[in-house]
Amino acid sequence: MKRGFWLWAAALTTYAFLYVPLAVVVLFSFNDSELNASWVGFTTRWYAKLLGDANLLQAAANSLLIAIVSSTIATVLGTMAGISLYRWRPRFLPFLVLTPVAMPEILLGVSLLLFFRQVLDLTLGLFSILAAHITFSIGFVAIIVRARLTGMDEGIFEAARDLGATSWRTFTRVTFPLIAPGIVAGFLMSFTLSIDDFVITFFVAGVGVSTLPLQIYSMIKVAVTPEVNAISTLLMALTLTLIALASRFVPDTLRKSA
Amino acid sequence: MKLALALLLSILACLALAEDTLYLYNWNNYISTDTAARFEAWCGCRLKQDYYSDNEEMLAKLEAGAAGYDLLVPTGNAVHTLIRKNELRALDQQRLPHLANIADAYLNPWYDRGNHYSVPYATTVTLLGYNATKLAELGLPIDSWALIFEPEYLKKLKGKVTVLNSQRELLAAALRYLGHSVGDTDPEHWQAARDLILRAKPYWATFSNSTYIKDLAIGNIWVAHGYSNDMFRAREDAKAAGRPFAIGFAIPKEGAVLAVDNFVIHNSSRRPDLAHRFIDFMLRGENAADVSNLIGAGNPNRAALPYIRPDVADEPAIFPPPDTRARLEMLHDLEPKQRRLMSRLWTEIKVK
Amino acid sequence: MPASSSRTDKGGRLTRWLVTLPPALFLVVFFLIPALIMAAASFREPGEFGGLAPLAERGLSLDAYRFIFDDVIYAWIFAKSFAVAGLTTLLCLVLAYPLAVLIVRSPKRQRDLFVLLVILPFASNFLIRIYAWMIILGPLDLLYRPVAVIIGMVYVHLPFMILPLYTNLEKHDPALLEAAQDLGASKWTRFWRVTWPLSLPGVLSGAALVFIPVLGMFAVPELLGGTGDLLIGNLIKEQFLDNRDWPLGAALSLVLTVVVLAVAGVSSALTRSRGQP
Repeated sequence: MKRGFWLWAAALTTYAFLYVPLAVVVLFSFNDSELNASWVGFTTRWYAKLLGDANLLQAAANSLLIAIVSSTIATVLGTMAGISLYRWRPRFLPFLVLTPVAMPEILLGVSLLLFFRQVLDLTLGLFSILAAHITFSIGFVAIIVRARLTGMDEGIFEAARDLGATSWRTFTRVTFPLIAPGIVAGFLMSFTLSIDDFVITFFVAGVGVSTLPLQIYSMIKVAVTPEVNAISTLLMALTLTLIALASRFVPDTLRKSA
Repeated sequence: MKLALALLLSILACLALAEDTLYLYNWNNYISTDTAARFEAWCGCRLKQDYYSDNEEMLAKLEAGAAGYDLLVPTGNAVHTLIRKNELRALDQQRLPHLANIADAYLNPWYDRGNHYSVPYATTVTLLGYNATKLAELGLPIDSWALIFEPEYLKKLKGKVTVLNSQRELLAAALRYLGHSVGDTDPEHWQAARDLILRAKPYWATFSNSTYIKDLAIGNIWVAHGYSNDMFRAREDAKAAGRPFAIGFAIPKEGAVLAVDNFVIHNSSRRPDLAHRFIDFMLRGENAADVSNLIGAGNPNRAALPYIRPDVADEPAIFPPPDTRARLEMLHDLEPKQRRLMSRLWTEIKVK
Repeated sequence: MPASSSRTDKGGRLTRWLVTLPPALFLVVFFLIPALIMAAASFREPGEFGGLAPLAERGLSLDAYRFIFDDVIYAWIFAKSFAVAGLTTLLCLVLAYPLAVLIVRSPKRQRDLFVLLVILPFASNFLIRIYAWMIILGPLDLLYRPVAVIIGMVYVHLPFMILPLYTNLEKHDPALLEAAQDLGASKWTRFWRVTWPLSLPGVLSGAALVFIPVLGMFAVPELLGGTGDLLIGNLIKEQFLDNRDWPLGAALSLVLTVVVLAVAGVSSALTRSRGQP
């Protein structure tokens, strides 16, 4: 389809808006100054310092691990919820799925902490963070998948049934490929929500377990040094690589759309 | 795949527990990495820190059930609260031979008579930091809260002033300026303080708890209401960056809030033995001096004084002389009903 | 309307439970129960030292709610927060739509790249991006002002609008637009009469995913805002992290949640009443 001049102009404006701060982040990771304030000179020492900063690296590794695991589980559960919301519309499900999205994060955080400690008497750690992240991501995935299904041509499902396909077959050969872009979008959204989550993680992280947002927040008083810019730049590079690799190896059926 | 992950995680968790690890929940930037490293070398153990930027943050997490911290560093009023909630483990003073290093003025405080639970570590004063060069240029006073409350001065500082985003601290400053105690709970005095603040608010840039350090040091802000150790850092940063101005900080003559931060052991601590060793280590003069030299905090430890840099030791805002000390007060906690009233007052301040 | 009612195979019922139960169960355990605990907390008194007073001692009370509805200032903050959320949503929509259309019209290879480019900024860290905005807006003298808060909010929530919109636009049948063109419709008419109505579910999903989180956000107003930019998210955060008044914080959150669900319910009813496009 045609992509006219004005469309390109508008779209590129949006991209520019998205990337200008990013350019600042990457640029300032080479800034020869303790403060993340004004440009002083070029240096790569922050990357060197980063390699020696076990705490920050551990936190980043934790964040990545938690993001991947929690988004995977949330995507699976969220897709199921999205399908269910669309097909069968069980009474209670919209409320259950949508309210975590509607509720302020801080409330979710405190209530989960109360629940873990005073009801389950659970020792906080990676598990509590995972459970919390999955909880708030399911709703996002469900909403996207449901939006994807809404307005789907019902004829396709009927045709499949008429041709004798079982419901499982219909799902794998018809439904799933159709909603695949929604699933992928949901996964990406969960991933970004998780890797960046501060408020909820703040409450449910265990003693000594840190994620990147928590670690950065703890440096906030000390004025966020360019080391943080360095790790952000590296994280972006890593995510870029991961996604590029993933799209290479993902089978073509997943990428096919209607 | 998930099974392998779970296995990996549990192995790592076991490894972590096996080590001698001490968990410290501390203010941001309140123990330098050097000191921490020295302690680890001395005791042959690991020190893991989590951070908070406010007593209330720490108390909120503890209230909701966070556990596993060996050591905390609460300010006096928070110590008082924790004691009343039975959350602290009594100190075994036999294991703290260097406790005698603490100056008499800091022993036996109102929040912990007999020091059964706490050992003072550092002191800070909430005061005004300023761009000395700019203020001299503008001919503005540097020794009074009027600098942030009086429109006649604020006119020249519009958009260049920040105040702390803290109900207690800001109200305390207003109360002192109006001639009342920081612990005053008279609703009329609170209204007067609120009106004073609302009158000054249009000239302020923002409420800031942490970004003011950077803003002062680069010259974006000319006056900041904040903590003495943060101002110290701003001054050092500005010097190091070779800025064309100097940062100064002073305790206003009307009086200010003094905060004494203390080491305490939480009753969920798994290694009280290590915790005691840590506290005693930090009580030694040469180690206690770090918090003053590297962070710019005041020091309740007499044995530390010989080790403290002269420019820090002579700084009246960090080590106030007796007549200034007489005008410093510590904050006490409020009752729940008063907290709610203050909350509404604060909302009005923020919204109107 | 879904054709599930015409299902005759027994697998239908089983499938329904198999698909619905796992997420439902997970959410009941990790969301509903904790949420109920907090909802209950709003009916209690604040503890002497903070948190919650023991139930046995002080019992239940409506004090927190009375406190909120007593003073018009809280209604004002709600209204202001909704205005900010509304403006943010609108701006996100304006910025997101052309981008989503561009992505959909692009060949497959490029499409993946474009989507990736949308997500990538958010692999960096939230706080550092806000700091970057402080660096950018400071010299422009836009910092510590309402406009800075709006910019920050739009920036943080943009992908939440782009993704749902894109997944919806992607399934529009190009044949519809071609038919409209053949019938002589102008570019604008084609958009307004064909594309826009079809995209509404995506627009509304995106709007929900932007509007609601904006309401609860406190970091952006706190860091980028000036002295008058308190939003409901800040107010709630203050109760838990500054004031130790959990009942009030829980009550405010509950009121917020109820209002949001009401708005969502209304908008969802509106969508359904439009019928399937």
